[in-house]
Amino acid sequence: MTSEYEDAYLEVENLVKYFGDDKAVDGISFGIPKGAFLTLLGPSGCGKTTTLMSIAGLHSIDGGRIRVGKTVFTSPKEGLFLPPEKRDIGMVFQSYAIWPHMTVAQNVAYPLEIREWQRSDIDDRVAEVLKLVGLTDWADSLATNLSGGQQQRASLARAIVSNPSLLLFDEPLSNLDLKLREHMRVELKRIQNEVGITSIYVTHDQSEALVMSDEIIVMSKGKIEQRGGPLEIYSSPVNEYVSNFIGVANLMQAKVVEVSETGIGKVEVSQGGQAVKLMCRLGPGIEAGKDAVLSVRPENVHAEREGGEGMLAGECTHAIFLGSYVDCRVKWGDFEWKVITHPRNHPRTGEKVYLRFDAEHTLAVQP
Amino acid sequence: MTTETLSPTLQRSRLNNRLRAMVTQENMITVVVALIVAGAVIVPLAVLFVSSFKVLDPLGWDTVWGFGNYVEMFTDRIIPKAFLNTLIISSGATVLATFLGVTLAWINARTNCPGRDYLEPYNLIPFFLSPFIGAIAWHNLGEPQTGLLNNWARDILGIEGALINVDNIWGVIWVTGIFFAPLVYLFVVGSLRRMDPSLEDSARTTGAGLVRTTMTVTLPLVMPGILSGAIIVFVTSAGEFGVPFKLSAPYGWETLTTQIFSKAVGDDANHYLGAAMSMALGIITVLLIWVQQRYIAPRSFTTVTGKGFRPNVLDLGPWKWVAFGYNLMFIAVAVVLPIVCLIIVSLHPVWTGKMVWADITTINYVKTLFWWRPDAIAAATNGIINSLILAFGGASIAMVMALVISYMIHRTKGFGVRMLDFLSVVPIGFPGIVLAMGVLVTYIQTPIYATLWILMLAYITRFFPYGQRNISSIMLAISEELDQSSRMAGASWFTTLRRITIPLLKPGLFAGWILLFIIFLRELSISIILFTTGTETLSVGVYYLTNFENEPLTAALSMAQTVLLLIAIYAFRRFAGREALTA
Repeated sequence: MTSEYEDAYLEVENLVKYFGDDKAVDGISFGIPKGAFLTLLGPSGCGKTTTLMSIAGLHSIDGGRIRVGKTVFTSPKEGLFLPPEKRDIGMVFQSYAIWPHMTVAQNVAYPLEIREWQRSDIDDRVAEVLKLVGLTDWADSLATNLSGGQQQRASLARAIVSNPSLLLFDEPLSNLDLKLREHMRVELKRIQNEVGITSIYVTHDQSEALVMSDEIIVMSKGKIEQRGGPLEIYSSPVNEYVSNFIGVANLMQAKVVEVSETGIGKVEVSQGGQAVKLMCRLGPGIEAGKDAVLSVRPENVHAEREGGEGMLAGECTHAIFLGSYVDCRVKWGDFEWKVITHPRNHPRTGEKVYLRFDAEHTLAVQP
Repeated sequence: MTTETLSPTLQRSRLNNRLRAMVTQENMITVVVALIVAGAVIVPLAVLFVSSFKVLDPLGWDTVWGFGNYVEMFTDRIIPKAFLNTLIISSGATVLATFLGVTLAWINARTNCPGRDYLEPYNLIPFFLSPFIGAIAWHNLGEPQTGLLNNWARDILGIEGALINVDNIWGVIWVTGIFFAPLVYLFVVGSLRRMDPSLEDSARTTGAGLVRTTMTVTLPLVMPGILSGAIIVFVTSAGEFGVPFKLSAPYGWETLTTQIFSKAVGDDANHYLGAAMSMALGIITVLLIWVQQRYIAPRSFTTVTGKGFRPNVLDLGPWKWVAFGYNLMFIAVAVVLPIVCLIIVSLHPVWTGKMVWADITTINYVKTLFWWRPDAIAAATNGIINSLILAFGGASIAMVMALVISYMIHRTKGFGVRMLDFLSVVPIGFPGIVLAMGVLVTYIQTPIYATLWILMLAYITRFFPYGQRNISSIMLAISEELDQSSRMAGASWFTTLRRITIPLLKPGLFAGWILLFIIFLRELSISIILFTTGTETLSVGVYYLTNFENEPLTAALSMAQTVLLLIAIYAFRRFAGREALTA
């Protein structure tokens, strides 16, 4: 039996899961090497949490196969289903799931008690992990007396205490306020680096995914849209969906005029009688004569005072000063471009501007 | 993927794997419980249904199939009247209990009536006490000749004859109504308290006055609670045996329950006719409960949000003392007067209607409570021991069952979950006396008949839903992730149950246990059908004494039961709190 990700540490092969008649996960496959940090990213209902729960074994799957190392977790075809407690996984839940009837130390010690460690070893290990997450002083408080961020740390400590073979995160930061969330992102990543456990992280927050991950899988409607490193996903989204979901992008209907071997081609965009041909990079599956979507990040659109070849003449409808940059809107026909300009030299409202694009940062992708 | 053709051995091993995946601790336990519950709930009702079509021949030797029992229900000399009396009593009790329950709830939740926090627990006491004992107490208060109130009226007011007479259908309505008023109270007070005050405030800002706001906003919002409470009172009154047995049946007003009782035991026993009458009663109650569960309960607008609303409180001005007096009157007639009367009567060797200080004696307590003495009355002393066994054992077994069932309903997606959800509502639809008839006709030929086991079985079957609701309400409130994280930590299903789920559910388990303990300790209408010599319960002991002995002895055993119940109520309030009741 061979498969694409045979050499990977964690392998998910052709995973299918139904809820009633709805296909929550529609035959996805991926694999990650040992020690990697993978993020499943997508809006709610895209199947990312279902995928995570399938790996955890918290529900059964309808098709496919999940393997970690040499152990097959589940494979309905072979009639295999390893109960969650036998999978040696640490998991951090959205609600933290810190048991309110135990102290922090008792919560963290629990997985070790289940594994029948010696009492003294448990105490040492719990102290070590609590130090790692910065909760040493809270060891004996009841879980209910902790703040949200502290509960999150306790939950992480409990997940890593037994050195599991896999660490799963189910939107662990979504219940925290923004400041704390930004802080905990860095903390989580630091701790994961330190313990080096292979991790899968589920989130709908794209900036979280960009900050933390070695690799990102963007999902939609139970399928994988794109997989790649943060930079690759950001700078080379494969289609309209991904470029829209990750960061901010100007997305415009375009017609492919010319393709070339180098990956640079030409597309035509038109609005209100104006038609302009632009040089751009071509995403996968772009063919001459077909429709495409032009995707340009706001920071890659340049507003000039002078017009020229391959530039769009528009009017600045408003310019909002946001400290380190100015967020402008430039109207070209019915289309409004989002443009980020430098505060020292930005167009004023009502001013005529010319938009310039560089081929390297202008991308034609599949609709 | 490789080939679809597998060697036979490999196929077999896959089948084995699949089977092994299904045979988990979790599935095994849940399937076994589902089967037990299905057996306990469905079998007696099915047998009852079938038995109702068996017609006893005139000699009582043999049966033929037919509708004869149902025909007899309409042609009999007594049964049609009993039917009518049941409807009158249930309707009257519903009106009285709803009026009392709604007004008292409103006074306690929404007015500045003095001492509200102290009144509430006493308003709820009748809910836990036995209405049968309430009837006995009120008989001793309001009997024309020997009634304490009537004698006081003659002495103090100097009137001739009797002030009141409770030995009739109105007496039954009175006692049933005041004892079931807390049911309505509990259904209404929660929604009155938890209602978002801005709902009413916004009506006031549109220019609606107080009365108009109450009629157009407040009342409609609590209406589902009122209707639910009213239906529950109607159904409970229709299934009530003790009150009509004490107050109206001896004076010519039979009810369905007293008639079912007379067909279940005694000289003119006819189990098949009893089964048919039980079916008739059961169909009425189950339809009403179905309407309540299906259409009314889901319309309850106010849910527990966890948001602490401070409800609007109405300043009654001087009228607050009227409200206070009204509430005190309720506690007086429902709790204080009955208990005081029972104490007085129980301390006299014979009861003539007047207190005689010189006669005060504890002999009635000695005879009913001290079972090692030769003059102890067996039915009373057996009753105490048996009821304690049934209450401890039954509550414990029922709570274990309730725990497993709630767990299945809320935490597993396995087979039989929907059926269990249904099965745990069915018993609520049938009065105890109906279910007991079913259990009687089902098990009368088996060895468990004439043992405490048959009583235990019937108690648990009828009442486990109450325990289950106590657990379910907590289980809904605690996140499933708390269980899941234990599984992820490496704990098996059973370990998770033992170390995480059960400790978290402890308050609900305890509240449910005490509630069932209380219900079992006072249970009458099941016991009266299923008891035999030696398996009398406390309430059956009271029945025996009131039927074959005298009022003072009855009052003594009634007091013993009441004291046990009051202790349990105290424990319940102490550990469970108000919320546990409304389930």
